[in-house]
Amino acid sequence: MHRALLLLFVSVLSAQDPNSGKAIFRSNCAFCHGVTGVGGRGPSLITAKISQGTSDADLKTIIRKGIAGTSMPAFDNLEGDDLDRLVADIRSLAGSGVSDTPVTGDAKHGAEVYARSACGACHRVGNAGSDYGPALTRIGGARSSEYIRQSIVEPSADIPPDYEGVTIVTAQGQKLTGVRVNEDTFSIQLRLQNGRFGLFKKSDLKSVTYEKKSLMPSYEEMAATDLQDLLAYLDTLRGSVAAIDDATRAKGIH
Amino acid sequence: MAVSLSGQIVTADRLNNALKEQQNWLTYWGDYTGIHHRDLKQINTENVKNLRVEWIYQTGEAGSNETTPLVVDGVMYVTAGRGIAMALDAQTGRELWRYKYAPPVGRNFVSSVNRGMAILGSNVYMVTPDSNLLALDAKTGRVVWQSEMAPWVPGVHYATLAPLVVKDKVIVGISGGEQGVRGFIDAYDAASGKRAWRFWTVPLKGEPGGDTWLGDSAQRGGGPVWMTGTYDPKLNLTYWGVGNPGPDLYGDVRKGDNLYSCSLVALDPDTGKLTWHFQFTPHDLHDWDAEETPMLLDLDWRGKPRKLVVQANRNAFFYVLDRETGEFLMGKPFERQTWAKGLDDKGRPILQPNAEPTPEGNRVCPGLAGGANWMAPSYNLDTKLFYFPVREACDVFYSEPPVYVAGKPYWGSVFRGATDEKEWGLLKALDPLTGETKWDFRYYRAPWAGTLSTAGGLVFSGDEDGYLMAFDARTGKNLWKLNTGNRLVSAPISYLVNGKQYITMPSGGAILTFALPD
Repeated sequence: MHRALLLLFVSVLSAQDPNSGKAIFRSNCAFCHGVTGVGGRGPSLITAKISQGTSDADLKTIIRKGIAGTSMPAFDNLEGDDLDRLVADIRSLAGSGVSDTPVTGDAKHGAEVYARSACGACHRVGNAGSDYGPALTRIGGARSSEYIRQSIVEPSADIPPDYEGVTIVTAQGQKLTGVRVNEDTFSIQLRLQNGRFGLFKKSDLKSVTYEKKSLMPSYEEMAATDLQDLLAYLDTLRGSVAAIDDATRAKGIH
Repeated sequence: MAVSLSGQIVTADRLNNALKEQQNWLTYWGDYTGIHHRDLKQINTENVKNLRVEWIYQTGEAGSNETTPLVVDGVMYVTAGRGIAMALDAQTGRELWRYKYAPPVGRNFVSSVNRGMAILGSNVYMVTPDSNLLALDAKTGRVVWQSEMAPWVPGVHYATLAPLVVKDKVIVGISGGEQGVRGFIDAYDAASGKRAWRFWTVPLKGEPGGDTWLGDSAQRGGGPVWMTGTYDPKLNLTYWGVGNPGPDLYGDVRKGDNLYSCSLVALDPDTGKLTWHFQFTPHDLHDWDAEETPMLLDLDWRGKPRKLVVQANRNAFFYVLDRETGEFLMGKPFERQTWAKGLDDKGRPILQPNAEPTPEGNRVCPGLAGGANWMAPSYNLDTKLFYFPVREACDVFYSEPPVYVAGKPYWGSVFRGATDEKEWGLLKALDPLTGETKWDFRYYRAPWAGTLSTAGGLVFSGDEDGYLMAFDARTGKNLWKLNTGNRLVSAPISYLVNGKQYITMPSGGAILTFALPD
């Protein structure tokens, strides 16, 4: 609800300068994609895979309708000239920074590294794996490989808001750690690694501790070649998820 | 208690003495002083644990309803968004009439929020999202008259507040602080709807205060008035908070103090003439409207009885002023703030460096929504404490030179929530004589709901996750709660019908009313 509120706030701040696509970008896009488009919670728009082979009309569709099944909301307040200027500004970002170099490495071997490292114990690809951590079904399309690399070796650098770790201690002294599903002044709901929900009234708990670190262990020690191959494998994951509507998918937008 | 129909006619004299009618809720704030307190104690610290839903009325309007009902001799008058008004049997929630404003076709509103009504004689008064003021027949909901506050221009003026009736006039203000309006407070003749006076909250060149605006920036200077004022019948002064200057976060185009933005103005209700003003945040750059309730308290100040006006301001300071003269008496921060080193002896802030919005962004506490906001505070006559919701949140403020285009937002910036720290909230009990916190209760999220205080030793308020809660007014202990299923964005009220005490709180599309079991 808090996120929804913030998004609402940001979306009402539409362009104050109709001549500036950059102002529209800052008002509507920068919260997730960064002030200069380098990415953050949302993917980098400089290295975005989406800039390849998609028309202005496709970009407008994405902006106005959002991408179902992802965190990209619909900005249906944008229209006409404002939308044209915004698309032009996003196009200009592509030339301003890092070029989108293809991820090198052996993706086939990377898939073996993924299996060997038991990534599926927490992550899902398609219908296989666990829902404890974020789904990776379309991670190659959603995040820059630099962001993914950082997430593997330094998972605490950016913890998505839906995957914050919480440790609770019950009145009986039982200690449990899980991913916060929901929380309010009086109660907290966790997703536990065994797949169950942990549902608590705070008045029944001795303590609630918010983990500063990600619940994902760091793979800093992974051999460099294995890591590169794993990145190459993850880069191939552009799979559609059921929630992405067919019309969007038909346009090649995943 | 038998109620005659003539008993449902509200006179100016009844409004002056609203606090003596503990069974009713005759004005938006409950009375002219804005203390949001009732001398009712059937529901108290001992039995509040048994409080339960008595009735639910569905307005049919989705979303969050910021309205506060009136209760007049057993009849509840309540609004919902998009210009809807209803009269209900306050004892059962049964509908007596329902009115829906029909704007000219094709009007898209900047906001459809409505915060409630005022009553005088046989009329109730409300504003519409396209800034008209309506008088409705309190018995039927029929339109008696309609007056336009500002000509319709898409995306510019709008109105949300509950009107304030003073004597024979209906006083309202205009919204549009993010749309480059020039703000005003209007008074209309309650019988005819004819405009009696207008006070421009932003003076032009040549007028007193006009030199506090660079060039012609006052023409788009903001200073909206989107919350109801308070009134002192003895001093014959009405007190109104004025909102932010425009563009909100970019000040170079409007250099100067930008009077009367972010100020409290004391007006003569008969003429609209300014008696005094006090500016909390000169040349504001953070959207810190001074729309928080200007609450009127008569207290012993430094040992002498004094007529005070107090406000927990959006800029995170709690202020005490003399309400006869506007003299600054005290200002103390009530939460974290990073923008001012303090206030000087006139109450003017001494600024911190690096607190202005910049193209690269500066992180400032409180955030854009402020440490306090429009939600009703309350004052308990027994505990002598001031209760109010506190928002603990910071923002990164960006600036961007704006170009004014009529009908487009005029922010001069973008802000975003700071991502390094979650917001949270407090219900706080403050001693208004010292600014000291007596207790607080922590909420998981920063709240948008106001408070109600009662002689039953209780404070009621709501949180952002939908809990309506009752607290011990002396200790802050949570004594009762119920999750209403929607974020709470109004303030609870209390009243009696046939001698029984009720508590009402809007939640989402519903008007919820609570009582003890019979």
